[in-house]
Formats: sequence, structure tokens, C-alpha cells
Amino acid sequence: MSAGVVGKAIARVDGRAKVTGAARYAADAEVRGVAHGVLVMSTVARGRIVALDTRAAQAAPGVVDVYTHLTMPRLTVPAPTTGYFKRFVPMQDENIQHAGQPVAIVVARTLEEAQQAAVLVIVRYESQTPQVVLADGLGDAYVPAPGSDGTNDYVRGDTGAGLAAAGVIVDATYTTPLQHHNPLEPSVTVAAWSGDRLTVHESTQGISNTQNALMQALGVPRENVRVITPFVGGGFGAKGPVWPHTLLTAAVARLAGTPVKLVLTRAHTYTSHGHRAETHQTLRIGAARDGRLTAIEHVVTQPVSRSDELVFNSSEPTRMLYACPHVRSTQRAVRLDLPTASFVRSPEAATSHALESTLDELSHALQLDPVELRLRNWSAVNQETGAPHGSNFLRECYERGAAEFGWARRDPRPGSMRDRDGLIGWGMATAAHTAGGRPGAGAAVTISVEGTALIRSGTQDLGTGTYTVMQQIGAQVLGLPLHAVRFDLGDTNFPPAFASAASATVPGVGSGVVRAATTARGRVVALAVADPRSPLYGVEPARISTADGYLHVTGQPSRRVSYRSVLRRHGQPIEVTSDPAPAALGYSTGAVFVEVHVDPAIGRIRVRRVVGVFDPGRVLNRQTARSQAIGGAIWAIGFTLMEHTLIDPHLGRVVTPNLSGYLVPVNADVPDIEVGFIDRPDPSSPALGARGFGETPMTGVTAAIGNAVHHAIGKRIRDLPITQDKVIAALS
Amino acid sequence: MSEEETPTKVGSTRRTVLKAGATTTLAAGTPLPALLGEAPASAAAAATATSPVEVSLTVNGVARPCTVEPRVTLLDALRERLGLTGTKKGCDRGECGACTVLVDGRRIKSCLTLAVMQQGKEITTVEGLARGDRLHPVQAAFVREDGLQCGFCTPGQIMSAVALIGEGHTRSDDEIREWMSGNLCRCSCYPNIVAAVREAAKEMS
Ligand code: FES
Ligand code: FES
Repeated sequence: MSAGVVGKAIARVDGRAKVTGAARYAADAEVRGVAHGVLVMSTVARGRIVALDTRAAQAAPGVVDVYTHLTMPRLTVPAPTTGYFKRFVPMQDENIQHAGQPVAIVVARTLEEAQQAAVLVIVRYESQTPQVVLADGLGDAYVPAPGSDGTNDYVRGDTGAGLAAAGVIVDATYTTPLQHHNPLEPSVTVAAWSGDRLTVHESTQGISNTQNALMQALGVPRENVRVITPFVGGGFGAKGPVWPHTLLTAAVARLAGTPVKLVLTRAHTYTSHGHRAETHQTLRIGAARDGRLTAIEHVVTQPVSRSDELVFNSSEPTRMLYACPHVRSTQRAVRLDLPTASFVRSPEAATSHALESTLDELSHALQLDPVELRLRNWSAVNQETGAPHGSNFLRECYERGAAEFGWARRDPRPGSMRDRDGLIGWGMATAAHTAGGRPGAGAAVTISVEGTALIRSGTQDLGTGTYTVMQQIGAQVLGLPLHAVRFDLGDTNFPPAFASAASATVPGVGSGVVRAATTARGRVVALAVADPRSPLYGVEPARISTADGYLHVTGQPSRRVSYRSVLRRHGQPIEVTSDPAPAALGYSTGAVFVEVHVDPAIGRIRVRRVVGVFDPGRVLNRQTARSQAIGGAIWAIGFTLMEHTLIDPHLGRVVTPNLSGYLVPVNADVPDIEVGFIDRPDPSSPALGARGFGETPMTGVTAAIGNAVHHAIGKRIRDLPITQDKVIAALS
Repeated sequence: MSEEETPTKVGSTRRTVLKAGATTTLAAGTPLPALLGEAPASAAAAATATSPVEVSLTVNGVARPCTVEPRVTLLDALRERLGLTGTKKGCDRGECGACTVLVDGRRIKSCLTLAVMQQGKEITTVEGLARGDRLHPVQAAFVREDGLQCGFCTPGQIMSAVALIGEGHTRSDDEIREWMSGNLCRCSCYPNIVAAVREAAKEMS
């Protein structure tokens, strides 16, 4: 292997395309004669359509046609295994299951004509009063049947006995609000039929899922559906599942006889692609006087829609992270008239927030430093399975993070640290998120007669750096210089890959690339040692090393031959394809430390400093990994201090479907963020020692901010977001 | 749409802009006539809003004739008529900055202005910054400092940064943060964006 290709801070290989405007996202695809689609959304949350008048819309200039449930073809609801989680397809009947459900699609020659005509569609409803408030439905909560994350009522030991044995018990109720992904690129489908073959340019985190869902919905063979996604303008889960607008656009493109481009408006995204469900969480934690946990009871209640039962904010940290003999973790659901909820960046953030905040409460009750409390409950094994982690340097993260932050200088008394204009708070928490454990990916490696490699996999790059790190992995395994390798993605003609979600890309696609590249390298080595003209003739293949484009005898770097000359003599390219293989579930952790400043007069909180030290196994690319850690921390600032989607309690509509009502962090909200990595390979990883990591760094930071606010003001605000009004109320 | 709400002549008065703005915003939301129980407007009324006009836009130094309806935003004219898809649409209502371009050297949100208002002005988009293979210092700094992830906000960030350096708002990191806050980045590359702007400003001074 070449030294140094993996692990370096390498600038993203798609950077130039992105800074010049050359990168083509789904809405930028050049499709001849494309018409524009615009959705018309239901204005009621529960009821049925009783009358539709599309005449004015149809007569408007430029309109190709207007489609409703009366004119749409029947579509099959794709199976949940395709990532289509909603258990119905809209525009198939008159029923309305949530506000903002598509009831018509207008297709016109230009966007402006489609927008104009969409306003002219008249829909009359018979509506019932929707139920959309979680607090009102808590009495109806139930425990859903086991889902994709296993049982929703997990029990280990006997929490009654654990609590009876505790020296201290802390009870707390936390809530987190409904939130939206808001990737900067709203979802896009551009669907073009040629006979019975469909090509879709889609802003998706999973081209294979999209292909499978379209195949099932439309009843066409898989090989007739091609999905192309070279660039995605952020996803964060919004584009992980497949959503109705994709199926509907493909269906109307066939009816209209013209390619159709549908770009969701920002407002439409709020009901079109899921959201992070609101949670209501109760925690009871018992501990011995020395801080060792004796019991945790954690009940999470969240809304599910009328049509499905998806529960995504699962309590992995509660089950897996800390050494505790008695644990009960229950996920409950309440049916409400809301759209289907889904996963949003770091689904475990919501439950981690409550757990890590309650642990802070426990540290106060025990008068024990919060870092020390966590060190005393560190576990060498996955507490849920009892199996050891591939590697686990969480203790080192606490120690290094605390040292870099200067934690030893903290005065633990709340309200004790101040500066001229206000109160200062220091808080910390553990970052932890499961990673990978999904079906994995295949990859195809072609080594040309010029000795360069092209690697392809049907994966995606959401900005996480897939193009870059897969090129690095390929170069490392083959022993080629980085510039001699190209990695291509985003086309269902390539070997299939799992969706870019669940921190599964590095373990899944990375291991697929390692397998294919290892086989391809073996073929080249076999050619070199079998060729009497080669300086490596007759050498044991196991004694051959590859680096910088050369094969050489290990320990004898001058006895070498280039990839190029081996392939030239071979006279034809070498092609190897690996099949998808599941990647084991990893657990990436870290320790995060936050300083906040609170202005008590106006209740304003500023995050002043974040220090995070993480253990993601081997770091493939320090620059892209650091950027993801920074991104996670900033998401945590949004999650904890500002983001929440307001639903009108009577009408069930989103009140804030835009970026001025739904606040996300802006540049001026963000301080310097220091990121450190332990960077020691996980020997159990099939991806050169690297684990999935993308979702870890948002966790922990949320609670660290909340804990810092408590340290600053001496009051615990348990309902997120921690907004100014709540701070003022707490202080008065 | 009632007759009154329809822009009747091409021009750049504030009134016209507001009216045209209302057209697109309405379309993006609830079908209002249905909500208000109004009769739908006639197709004829809609037609008067849509008579196309010939305009010539000077984009990245090149005169680009095109035919647009008066209600077409500069953003949609660039993307859908001129094939300049580097400029992005994140919200279509002035909230995200993804559509930022320079008009006569000033940064504006191209979703909030109409193409017909920009005739005779110098429009610069992200496609117009590099000189052949040589990236503009701001572009190069964004790559070097990893001021991007998904890249969707990046054209807008870069156009904003180019203008901001010209405006002289780079005296401190805090000042850069403040003056770059009209450009959202949901991937949250803000610290790297600040570094890129700071480094590019140094290089350009
Ligand atoms: S698209 Fe213009 S500001 Fe968002
Ligand atoms: S790089 Fe993705 S939104 Fe900024």
C-alpha cells in the first residue's frame, strides 16, 4: 500500500466543479423540451376532497395538463424496503391524511405558467378537526410492534431493583420539538420517458431506493428505470427515503408525453419529505453515591402519522453507551394528523440530548464532576449486546477534550463564572452514534492499459466527501497515486449501494471499494509475477508491494515494475466488480465541551467555543472529517437554541414553512469550533480501519450547550429550543 | 389574479416588482382563490401578465438576448433561459442567498429581482469568475479551506464573498461573519467559509 494517501487532509476532488458552477445538480440537468410541474397541496389536514375544478387552470396559457386523483393512473404503494415509508401514495383517492398533501399537479411549458395555473385549481374539502398536539395525545400513547431498530420496549435486568439500590435518583422530563432538514437544495425530480424506459435526475440520498420504488410504483422492470444523481445539494435525511413527489412526477411525465421537472418549493418541502418528530421524554436515573449507574428508565413518546408507525428517534445511547446493569428503554407512539416523520441528521440526537442532560442533573445531585461521572460509567463493551466494540477510545476523548478545553479551571457552582457583560457557562457531554450496519455496496474497478483506475459505485455524495475518500481508498489499496484514480458515483448503471444515510457510506461503500480494488491489485500482481519479461518474474505474490504506481518486491524498492507497463503488456484493461456485503454496525463516540455566554437582561445565548475530540477509528481524510464534525456542532446549535417547526394546533398546517420563520444558524451564530481525532484504526472495520462517523458529532453538543446554559444561569430549561423568552422566564 | 394585480408594463418601479413578486409567492403557497371562495380568474386575465418581451442581459461580459415574460425573475432567466445553472435556487424568496449574483458590482439576490429590470447592467455569476483554468482567488480559497460540502450554497457564498471583499468588510473574522450572514449554509461550513474569505482577502489586497 502507498503510505499517506489515506489519512491526509486532501482537498475535495469535486471542489473545482462546485466553486465554478460546473457541478450539475438534479435541477440543472439538461433535458430537451422539459416542462415544469408544480404541486397543489391540500389546505386541510384531515378529510376528503368533495369537488375539484381544474378548468381555469387547464385553460391558462402554456398549460400541458392538470392531474388529480381523478385522472392519475393507479400506482402501487412501494414496499417499505424501497425506502418508501409512507403507506399511501397521494392523488389516488379523495382522502386527505395531512395538510400539505399533493392534490393536483400542474404541468406547463414554463415554471411561471405552471405556478400561475396552480393557483387556479379549485379544491373543496369536507374536513374534520385534526389532532396534531402531542401533549394532548399522551394518554393514547402505545408501544408499536418491533420496527427496523428492533423492539420498542427494551429491558435489561430489573430497573425496580436497580432503583431500590440507588443512593441518588434523578427524575426529569425533556421535550424536543418537530424539526425540518432544510437542505439548501429543495428536492427535485426530472423525469424523462423514452418509450417504456424512464430516466430520472433526482436529488436523492439513495439512487437504488429511488429506482426500486419507481419500478414498483409504476410497474416497470428495474432495468427500464435509470436514476442519475452526480451531486446532491445536501440531504440530512430529507432525501434518504423516497417520497410521493418522485413517483407522481414520473407518472405525469408519462401521461404528458414530455419530460417533466418538478422542484419542490421551499414551503412544499415542509410536508413532502418527512421531519424529525417531536419527542416527549421521561428519564429516571439511579446511581450509587460514587456515581456508578444502577438503573436507567427512559420513555420516549413521539407522534406517528395515521398511515404508518415509523419511530426513528431511537434510544441507542441509553441502551448501549454506559455500564448499567438495569435498563428499560421504551419508545411510544401517538397517532396524529401529521405527515409521516422520518430520520433527520443524527436521529439519536433527541434521545441523547435527554440522557446527557439528565446525567448532568445527576452529577449535580452527586456533586461529582460530569467528566468524572462519565469516566466511572465508561463501558468497554456494547451494553446492549455485551460484545466488545471493534475499538473504543472514548476515555481518551474525555481526557484530551477536557485538557484542550481547560475544563480543570471550571468552577462547578452555577452562575459563578461571569464576564463584564454576562454569565458564562461550561458544559460537556458524550457524543455517540451508531454507524453503518446496513446492506453495503458493490464497486467496479477498471484498470486501464495506461495503468490508471476508474472505480464506480452507485452511491451518492451529499457533501460528505464520498468522491474524495473513495478515490483515496482506491489509490491506497491499489498503490496508485491519487491523480491516477477516479471515482464515479450517482448512476444506477453502476453496482448498487445502500443509501447515503446512517453513517453507512464509509463502512459500506468503503469496504466495497476495498474488496474490488484488492482483487484488481491481485490480478495485476499475478500478471507481473507470471511474465518472464517482468523484473518480478517468479516472485511469490505475497511478497509484492504496490505504491505510487509501481509494484515492487517488499523490502527491495528498486526491483520494480510500473502498473502501466504491466497493463500495456497485458494489452487490455482489468475489470473487477464486488458485490454488496453488509457492513458490521460500528459505534463512533467522542467528548464535547461547550462555552456559552448568556446576557441575562435579554436572555440571549451565544455559543462561544466548542471543543470536540472524537474516535471514528481511522480518519480517512482529516479535512472532510473535520468539516463534518464542524457541521454537526453547528446543527446542534440550531437544534438546541433555535430550530422548531410550528404547527397550527387547530388547522394542522405548518405555520413556519420558510427560512425566515424556521431559523437555522447563520454565520454570525457560529464561533470557532475545535475538532480533534484520536485517529486509531478500528481493527474490525473492513474499510481500512475507518468507521462511519457523520452522525456522531451532532450528538453530545446539544446537551453540552444545555448543560452550559444551566451552569451559566443555574436553571435547567428542559424544553427545546432554549430560546430567549425561556431564559428570561427562568431568570425572573 | 384580478386585473389590478397584473403588471401592465415593463419597468422597474417598486410597485411593479411588488406586484410581480406577489404572483410567484402566491403560486408557491395555498391556492388562495379556493381558500377565499373566489371564482378563479379568467385565462384571459392571466394572458396579459405573460406577454413575453425581448431583453438583452449582459452576463459575464457577454450580451445575451432572451425572451422573457415580465414576471420572470433574474434567477429563473439565468437558469432556465440562458442555461447558466451555476446560480442556485434555495428558497425563491430572498431568505437563503443561494441565488446571489453581482449586478454592477453589488451583490443582490437574483430571486428578488426581475430580468426585465436588469437590462444594460453588468451581471456577474459564478461562471464568470475564473479566467480559463485559473480560479478566482475566492474560489481557490473555498477549495483550499474546505468552505463547502454539498456545494449548493457555494456559488452564492462566493459571489457574496467577492462583493464583501470589495466592500472592505474583512477587517476581522467577526466582521466577515456578520456580513456573510445573508448566505445560509445548511452543511454548516461557516468557520471554513470565514477562513476562505479571510485568506482570499489577504491575497487580493
Ligand atoms: S433563492 Fe434567492 S435568496 Fe434563496
Ligand atoms: S455547502 Fe451545502 S449548503 Fe453550504
